[in-house]
This record gives sequence, C-alpha cells and structure tokens, in this order.
Amino acid sequence: MVEYRIDRRSGVATYVQIVQQTKQALRLGLLEPGDRLPTAREVVEATAINPNTVLKAYRELEREGLVEARRGLGTFVRRSLGAAPADSPLRAELDAWAARARAAGLEHDDVAALFTSVLDAHFADSKGDA
Amino acid sequence: MTDTAIEAAALGRRFGRRRRPALDGCSFRLPAGRVCAVVGPNGAGKSTLLALAAGLLRPTDGSITVLGQAPAASRERLAYVAQNKPLHPQLTVTGTLRLGRDLNPRRWDAGAAERIVAEGDLDPGARIRSLSGGQRTRVALALALGKRPELLLLDEPMADLDPLARHQLMATLMADAADRGTTVVMSSHVVAELEGSCDHLLLLGGGRVRLAGPLDDLLAAHTLVTGRAGDPLGPHTVVESRTTGRQLTALVRPTGPLGDGVQGDRPSLEEVVLAHLRSPDAPPLLLDAREAAV
Amino acid sequence: MSAATVGAPTAVRRFPEPRGLFLAMLRVHRSALLFWAALVAVAVGALLWALGPGADSAWAEYRASGCGGDSPNLGCDLPGPAHGRYDTVVACASGLLAVLPVLTGAWAGGALIGRELESGTARLAWTQSVTPARWLAAKLAVPALLLVPGTLVITLLHRALWASDSHLQRVLGWREWHDDSVFEANGILATAHPLAALALGVLAGLVVRRALPALAVAALAVMALVYVLDDVRPHLWPMPPGTPVLMHRHPSSHFWPLQLVETGIVLAVAALATAASFALLRRRTGAAV
Repeated sequence: MVEYRIDRRSGVATYVQIVQQTKQALRLGLLEPGDRLPTAREVVEATAINPNTVLKAYRELEREGLVEARRGLGTFVRRSLGAAPADSPLRAELDAWAARARAAGLEHDDVAALFTSVLDAHFADSKGDA
Repeated sequence: MTDTAIEAAALGRRFGRRRRPALDGCSFRLPAGRVCAVVGPNGAGKSTLLALAAGLLRPTDGSITVLGQAPAASRERLAYVAQNKPLHPQLTVTGTLRLGRDLNPRRWDAGAAERIVAEGDLDPGARIRSLSGGQRTRVALALALGKRPELLLLDEPMADLDPLARHQLMATLMADAADRGTTVVMSSHVVAELEGSCDHLLLLGGGRVRLAGPLDDLLAAHTLVTGRAGDPLGPHTVVESRTTGRQLTALVRPTGPLGDGVQGDRPSLEEVVLAHLRSPDAPPLLLDAREAAV
Repeated sequence: MSAATVGAPTAVRRFPEPRGLFLAMLRVHRSALLFWAALVAVAVGALLWALGPGADSAWAEYRASGCGGDSPNLGCDLPGPAHGRYDTVVACASGLLAVLPVLTGAWAGGALIGRELESGTARLAWTQSVTPARWLAAKLAVPALLLVPGTLVITLLHRALWASDSHLQRVLGWREWHDDSVFEANGILATAHPLAALALGVLAGLVVRRALPALAVAALAVMALVYVLDDVRPHLWPMPPGTPVLMHRHPSSHFWPLQLVETGIVLAVAALATAASFALLRRRTGAAV
C-alpha cells in the first residue's frame, strides 16, 4: 500500500502528484503486481483532496497499463516499472558525462540546470505529466 | 434523475430598492457530483447565492433550479450549513442529532451522523454551548450529512477553524463525496483552503459571475505571461497586465500561440482568482454553459 | 448520487412527519414546557388547597370569632389570618391567569420565534425536511395544544371554588363576578387570551426578528390588547336602556354573553395575527406550503 503526500504549493496538479508518486512506488518496489491501491475514499480521508482527482489519477495510470480497476474490488497493480539498472550502458555514459562536466569546472547546480533543460527539450510533450 | 445540481438563469436578488443588488444577472450551471468552490471577496454575493439555492430566499430576478426543481421542492434532498453554524445551544450533541432524525424522518441516517461526531472525539452528552468552534462545525456537518443530501451547501465552512480541524473536516466531506457522489458547494474568501479539494469553480465579484467552470479547464484557459515591457500581447484576452521595470507580467486567455520571447506558465488557482479580483472589468469566462450544450 | 436516490425511498419511514416535528418542538423548548407544567401545578395546588383546607379553616376562624350566627358583630367584616391566607392563595391563582397572556406573548416573541430567527436556528429547521410554513404551524400549534388544557383545568377549579365559597364571598364581599381577574378566570377568556397572546408574540417575533426587542414588542402588544379589552368589556353586551354602561351595572346573567362576544373578538385577533405571520414568512422565504 502507498500513502500519498499532496503538496498544494508545488504548482504540480494534484492528480499528477498521485500519478508520479504511484510510479515512484512502482520503481522502488513498494508496489508490486497484484497489490491494491488505496480506494478513493481512503486517499481523500487522509489527504482531504477531491475524490474526482484520485479517480482521474487512477484512470491515467490505467490508461498507461500500470493498474487495472476490478469492479467492486478496487484498483490493482498490473505491472511494475523497472528502473534503468545500475549497470546499464546509459548509466555508464551519464557517469562519464558528469565526470567531464566536473572536470570542466561546473558546479552541482550548473550540472543539474543543464541536465534539466536537455531533459525538458527531449521530453517536452510529457512535461509535467510524470 | 438530473445531472445538474444547480442551474441559475439571470438570477438576481436585491435587498431594498435603493441598495446595489447582492446578486445580479447570474447564469451558470453546476453539474452533479462536483465539489464546487464559490469564491469571491466579502460582499460578493456568496451567502446570498447559497441561501437562494437552499430555498431560504426567493430571487427577485431570474430563476434558480436545484436538482431539477425549485429549491423549496428539493428541501429534502439538500443540506445547508450557514456561516455561523446555528445550533440550539441548550441541546446536547445527541439531542441535536435526534433533532435531525425528528425533522428528517424519511432520510435520516443515524449511523452516518454518529460516525462523523465520533471521528471528532466529541462527548455525545456535551451541550452545544460548551463546544469549540471546530466541534460545533463538526456537529453542524453531522446534522447536514446525516440527512444524506444529494446536494450539500456550505457557507464559509472552514472559517474560524484551526488547520487540523480544517483538514479533518475537509477529509470527512471528501470521504462522503467519494462514498455517495454528493455534490458539494462551499463558499470561501480564502482561495488556498479550497485548492485540491474542489474541481469546479464559481468566482463571484460584485454580485456577478466572473468565472465558472471545471477548475482544470479554467486554469488551462489562462496563461501567466512574462516578457519584456512593450511586448505585444497580440490577440489574446488580457485579464491583467503589470509592468515592473522592464518586465511585463500578465494573465491572459490565449487565443493562439504566444509570441517569441514571451514565456508562458501555468498559473495557480490563486493567481487566476486574484488577477480577476484586481481587474473587475476583465470579461467573464463561463465554461460550463458550453459544456451544458454538448 | 445514484446511491442516495436509490436509498432514499426505501428508507424506513420511522413515524409520520407531524410527530417528528412535535418531538423536535418539545426537545427545543423543553425548559418552557417544564416551566408551564410547574405553573399549572402551582395554580392547581393552590386552588385545591383553597377549595378544601383553606376554606375550612377560614370558616372555622369566622365562626370562632362569633360571626356566622344571626347577629354578626362589626368585627366580622375584618378577616382573621386564616381568611387572609385563603384570600392570598386565591388571588395568586387567578393572578397567575391574569399575567399568563403577557408571559405567553413575551415568550413567543422572544424565545419561540425571535431567538430562532436571530441565531439562525430557524434556517437550520427550514433546511431539514420541514418547510417554513410547517415549522410556523408547529410553533403555533404545539404551545396552543399545551396552553389549552392547562388553562381549562385552572378555570374549572376556579369556577368550582367560586361556586363553593359564595357564602364566604357574600359575608365578606370582597370579590365580585365582574372584577377583571374573576371575570377572566371564570370563563373561556382565560384560554382565549393566552392563545391571542401566542399569535401576537409569534407575529412580533417574525416582524422584529431579534429575541429581546421581539420580547418587548410582544409584551407591549399583549398588554395593550388586554387594556383595551378591559376598557370595552361593558359595551360588549346591550344594557337595559338608560343604565350607565359599567361592568358592575351588568346583571350576572350577562356573564356568558359577555364572555362569548369577547372570546370571539380575541380569537379573531389571534386569527388575523396568524394569517399575517404566514403571509410574512411566505413573502420572505418564497416557499410554498
């Protein structure tokens, strides 16, 4: 089971926060296939957010094939989200790139800003949507 | 069964001939199953609108229907909690709930009402006059929800509550809405306390509807623009624009792509509401009318 | 939404609506109900005492002082302590009936209606399953239903006392059938006056909408009504020609005609005030039925 933490001041739409946190839980293995997500009532009782928002987030997760709603039973996890393994080639390339950035004299924040802007440029269409 | 909770057509209410009308020419439609925030500064007409919907006042102009009927005919199906949470101070909590049972013989759900009281850790034998503001609000809410309303009208429900009580009561409300699909309409002049809980917005100003529609659609219709002073804002509808030094900040309703060199951000609910309140002449935006036509 | 609509019609109807409204009224106005019960108990107790031991000891005292025979002396016009007690108790019981209209009006204007409108609890009732008109009907009917038997019992006891102590009255001659308090306590006016006061108080509460001012307005209105009635009372039934129109010039056979005409007037006032109350409430809330 997951517990959602809603940050009303983050500027991120509430349903997006639920989608993101569910995916994070899937990546970290806190949720596994077959697990039940909390019901809308359970979520709103804990967070005082609008029940339609929870349903919207669950529909979004369902649309992505991550969960499925079973009538009268609840919403269940269908598959987990594998994070890129620690020894993948992508990670090795990023590792090398970060080392070069540091050697070039960039600070931590500079690197982060650079990375985010490249990320935004490549994933513009899914920005703000997990 | 109707899918419309409240529909107002050119609704107006004046108190006294000489005074400015409290509500003037309000037209909007609230679909059933929504949690609607009625927002506006003090004196905007929020309480008047809720009292009209509850059948406590009658309109002096136009009309309002609630759950497909005149408000007075929907009395059994709606619940209303006034701003000052009136209760009989001499009754106990239990006595107050019995009053709800006596006055709603066909609808009363004692279990639901008692559960809401119990969640607040209230002594059922305590007299109403000995309760704190938050506890009174909880009893008033138990009385309203015990009736199993299809439409719940709450006038400034969270005013004078501490943050914990506010969160608890909002959670109680949302849980009820989740369980039974109750349409909830709550007014507030504090926008922040409603964000996250509401999915529909009605912004009133000076007795008129300024914004109405699903919250997400209303937010999506606006863009917060930052650019250089003198940048043309083109064909977009400008709600508000301010210039600070060389910087231009504006809230617009884009009608097409923004120009080059202009950055657009998604505004928060508070930013949209405040911009409209600061610019009383900005044109109203009513999105639910279009939705109703579909 | 669908759950609510499916659930509502199948919900058990616990009891008919009027009973729920009746119970709610008793619950909300419990202290007034207890006060009224205590008042009736005191008046009934006082009159029963006067009928039995009170009258007996007054007579015993009268005879013991050598009066009651064929040649009463001058001292027989001065009552002893036992008669003083008897007279005080009777005066209290009939005085209670005399102040009842003002008490009823003040309560109806202040606590019954004015306070509910001022604090918003009236709106609380109107947004339960009760229309404003039914709420008002209950506000009038429940106190009326409790007032009528109470006043009738007191009146019947007072009449019994009046019939039994006529000899005492004759020898001491202090109270006459046409005295305002005796006239009112001995007939249906003792019931009609509080009912009119209730209606006037309710109307005052609805007009003024605040507890304390409504209490004052209602009390003044009832006092004015009682004052005017006391004034016009001798004119309510024709006198033999040439007789001055004064209460003590009426023959005692005019008791019931005078009672009936005045009751008619008082109930007409009550009906007018009630109609005005309903009209006012309807205009304000716009609610039908």
